[in-house]
Amino acid sequence: MSGVLHRHPRLRLGLLLGPPMLWLGVAYLGALAALFITALWTADGFTGNIQREWTLDNFKDVFSLEVYRTITIRTLLTAVAVTVIDAALAFPVALYMAKVASPRAQRLLVIAILTPLWASYLVKAYAWRGMFSADGPIAWLADPFGLSTPGYGLVATVVTLAYLWLPYMILPMYAGLERLPNSLLEASADLGAGARVTLRRVVLPVLFPAVVAGSIFTFSLTLGDYIAVKIVGGTNQMLGNVIYDNVLTGNNLPFAAAVSTIPVVIMLVYLAAVRRTGALDNL
Amino acid sequence: MRKKRTLAGTAAFGLALALSLAACGTEDAGDDSSPDSASEGPGGFVPPDIAMADSLGDNEGTLSVLAWPGYAEDGSTDKAVDWVTPFEKQTGCDVSVKYFNTSDEAVTLMKSGQYDVVSASGDATLRLIAAGDVAPVNTDLIPNYADEYDFLKDRPWNSVGGQMYGVPHGYGANLLMYNTDVVKPAPTSWRAVFEDASTYSGKVTAYDSPIYIADAALYLMKTQPDLGIKDPYALDADQLAAAVDLLKAQKEHVGEYWSDYLKEISAFESGDSVVGTTWQVIVNYTKANVEAILPEEGATGWSDTWMISSKTEVPNCAYAWLNHIISPEANAAVAEWFGEAPANPKACDLTSEGFCDGYHAGDESYADQIHYWTTPIEQCLDGRTDVSCTTYQDWTQAWTEIKG
Amino acid sequence: MSSSAAVRLESVTKRFGAVTAVDGLDLEIRDGEFFSMLGPSGSGKTTVLRMIAGFEAPTSGKVFLDEQDVTKQAPFARNVNTVFQDYALFPHLDVVGNVEYGLAVKKVPRKQRRERAEEALASVQLSGFGARRPSQLSGGQRQRVALARALVNRPKVLLLDEPLGALDLKLRREMQLELKQLQREVGITFVFVTHDQEEALTMSDRIAVFNHGRVEQVAAPAQLYEAPASSFVAGFVGTSNLISGETARVVLGREGMFSIRPEKILLAGTDEAQGLRGRATGVIEAVVYLGSVNHYVVRLDEGGTLTVLRQNLHGTSDQKVGAEGDRVTLAWADEHVIDLNPPSASGNHQEEK
Repeated sequence: MSGVLHRHPRLRLGLLLGPPMLWLGVAYLGALAALFITALWTADGFTGNIQREWTLDNFKDVFSLEVYRTITIRTLLTAVAVTVIDAALAFPVALYMAKVASPRAQRLLVIAILTPLWASYLVKAYAWRGMFSADGPIAWLADPFGLSTPGYGLVATVVTLAYLWLPYMILPMYAGLERLPNSLLEASADLGAGARVTLRRVVLPVLFPAVVAGSIFTFSLTLGDYIAVKIVGGTNQMLGNVIYDNVLTGNNLPFAAAVSTIPVVIMLVYLAAVRRTGALDNL
Repeated sequence: MRKKRTLAGTAAFGLALALSLAACGTEDAGDDSSPDSASEGPGGFVPPDIAMADSLGDNEGTLSVLAWPGYAEDGSTDKAVDWVTPFEKQTGCDVSVKYFNTSDEAVTLMKSGQYDVVSASGDATLRLIAAGDVAPVNTDLIPNYADEYDFLKDRPWNSVGGQMYGVPHGYGANLLMYNTDVVKPAPTSWRAVFEDASTYSGKVTAYDSPIYIADAALYLMKTQPDLGIKDPYALDADQLAAAVDLLKAQKEHVGEYWSDYLKEISAFESGDSVVGTTWQVIVNYTKANVEAILPEEGATGWSDTWMISSKTEVPNCAYAWLNHIISPEANAAVAEWFGEAPANPKACDLTSEGFCDGYHAGDESYADQIHYWTTPIEQCLDGRTDVSCTTYQDWTQAWTEIKG
Repeated sequence: MSSSAAVRLESVTKRFGAVTAVDGLDLEIRDGEFFSMLGPSGSGKTTVLRMIAGFEAPTSGKVFLDEQDVTKQAPFARNVNTVFQDYALFPHLDVVGNVEYGLAVKKVPRKQRRERAEEALASVQLSGFGARRPSQLSGGQRQRVALARALVNRPKVLLLDEPLGALDLKLRREMQLELKQLQREVGITFVFVTHDQEEALTMSDRIAVFNHGRVEQVAAPAQLYEAPASSFVAGFVGTSNLISGETARVVLGREGMFSIRPEKILLAGTDEAQGLRGRATGVIEAVVYLGSVNHYVVRLDEGGTLTVLRQNLHGTSDQKVGAEGDRVTLAWADEHVIDLNPPSASGNHQEEK
């Protein structure tokens, strides 16, 4: 047996790569293909049963109806806002962890950042619901200044999602900064650059792939989220809600499939754009 | 070059596999909807041929119940509110309960085949029957069925061609809840959440389901007779557009929509919502100064039916549950807890003083005033034949647009 | 002291927590010289370099560059540049981008800085490599880029922190000569940190030998080798035979500690030893064949061992001169006995030149 394998390297390679490729093909490409195909069918409006007749109506509706454009843009802007906020918040934290904190403090901070990931998503989202509520802490803090809580809406959604996904941005940034040798910072200073110039010319460019890695998380997780929006988003709906509503309440799986191609396309475009910067090479 | 070819090959393989998988996945549904029964339903559909039980055997074990919140209480919410435990003791069937929030959710969940019985409202029942997700029910095997009000039997939403698909459970109206500390004077009309919504802008709430369009249609039916709305579930395109406009105007003042009843409770308790549509059971749960009224325009409402899944493996426990839930004791307990009229008149002997009168139990003419949730279909339910009406799919689309 | 000091340290002490890395150091590096700081790891030489660069602040004492007190100045304000041990090239910039960095930061116009960068690359024989990424270069090439990146700024002093440590032996030898030549051409003061005594001897005008945060001796290479001021210097610079105690009394007839370089000890009876009186007898314990030379480890009858180095001038037959177990007589000239005992008048920590 081993002799046969030894004489036939192609067979060996096939046996080695076969199962993972099969898995990739079935679970990943297969699921995507199934999704796309489902989008070309329709659902019976009454029973919700899928009717296997080929039609582009779902895509026509998704791309021609204004409401889906509005929702897409809202979702996209939310994802961008969440990503930018997370990047801005994560950078100083990651910088402190990687370059300033003592090894002990570093460990504690990593634990502190990872701990919230253990808590249930729902618990955290509902905690923010409490924060933003009319009798919540934000209202209480804002009251003396004559302000009130922004209430449930896009602001609350962005804040909640930015909170939920922050660890996914901090960790790659921290790893990226850890890998950034101190000698690079010293070299920059040595060559005449102050802290700001070093930040701009060395730290940020070297960190860029890590930011991209983090942004893929924050961006795609936001694109797909529908729960936080439901909890703190007020009347707003995101693409995720449209998909959820069409699957669970609309009984219209094909239309949901058509809508869910939007975030898939957005992510593909995003990844292609990122690829051009070369950031993925260093991932 | 070789690498490219391999990739293409993998993709093609994946695609082929996906096609065959997808084909397998929908095979069942396709077969179910094939016409092989002669009787027609009100939507112009033919229910699939599904066997009905003709005798009962020993109870099997675990019963999975899909219910509206508050319909299957086991004492975990309130120790005194428990009609599941007695059932378990009597029948030996272990009950697991899943609550759903909208009729649409119930329809979707029933498609999974994981639930044995369901409490379905009128906007879900026919869809379940037509899709073959529920089985016809042999009422002879349910002793308590004989006691139920006759005007609830053989209705368009619970039977097809004279065959019952479940047992009536109870009926009630969607109410208007308001925070008594904030909303003054007390509202008497749905106007509070439509034209007057701006008074409590940002603190108005509404039910997050396309079926809520009927609430707007009902309000328009009473306030704008020119539109010619006779039945809030039979809207032609213009009438639907008018309802959508009303709801879009309302949306400006809505803080958030609710479908999860826990969310509405928390919103009223925190003061984020102060006025909006509700169910009596939510009023019972809410720990804040709230009150609920039946506004002068009347209301949409529900008439619920307990149904049995066509895929159940525990038919005996399922029949036992149906018999139990409409027993005078259980029916009375549910009715009082949820805030609806019981379907079994004997339950009225067990409810608190005046309860059944308050909910007009057995009052056929009052029951007719509630506009029970029904699935809007192309054939106008109000009998018009000169126009075609908007379907539930249209409503779903409209609802997405309203929320924007 | 001389007024032309490029770098001067005045009683500089650096402590890291409880550890004293540099202990009350006085040091003067002259303008235009190739100055090496030699010592074992942990002796404080790199810390001194980092204090000159400004990466570390002294716990006490002062640092002068060009006779100006820069103790409190940030690295970017000091007119020195560093070649790092790991080169510290910016991975996101190409070679030209790396070399230009200092000029770009100082807002030198693009055209001018491109010219100077090309010039600097040419001076390290890397013309035409400008568009490559550091990751595409060999170790030696990276080292040259690091050098060009520092030199392009025309610093007053160039600091080199064990820059050749990561290179293989052959390349290291080449780079040593190149560095020395480059230093002569540009005339910039080089401060070179190394733990390799051979490297220091090869390149330096003067060498400071560090031990435990103190300087043991500062001297030109030949003097350091021929006249080490302490047993540490004698031991660290080259191989040394230490003779002390009873052995010294019997063999040398003197009290104290002495050293004789292995190549200065001869085997009596060979051509080289003619005219020299035999001083000690012993048995060859081991013969280590090193190609061009042989090491003989001789156990003396008086106690202790001496290492003798002999060049292989006569081919294999010559090995008869000493085989393990042979009795041999050792000879040396009196002037090759180095007296390591501190003169009673002055300490041995002083500079001798």
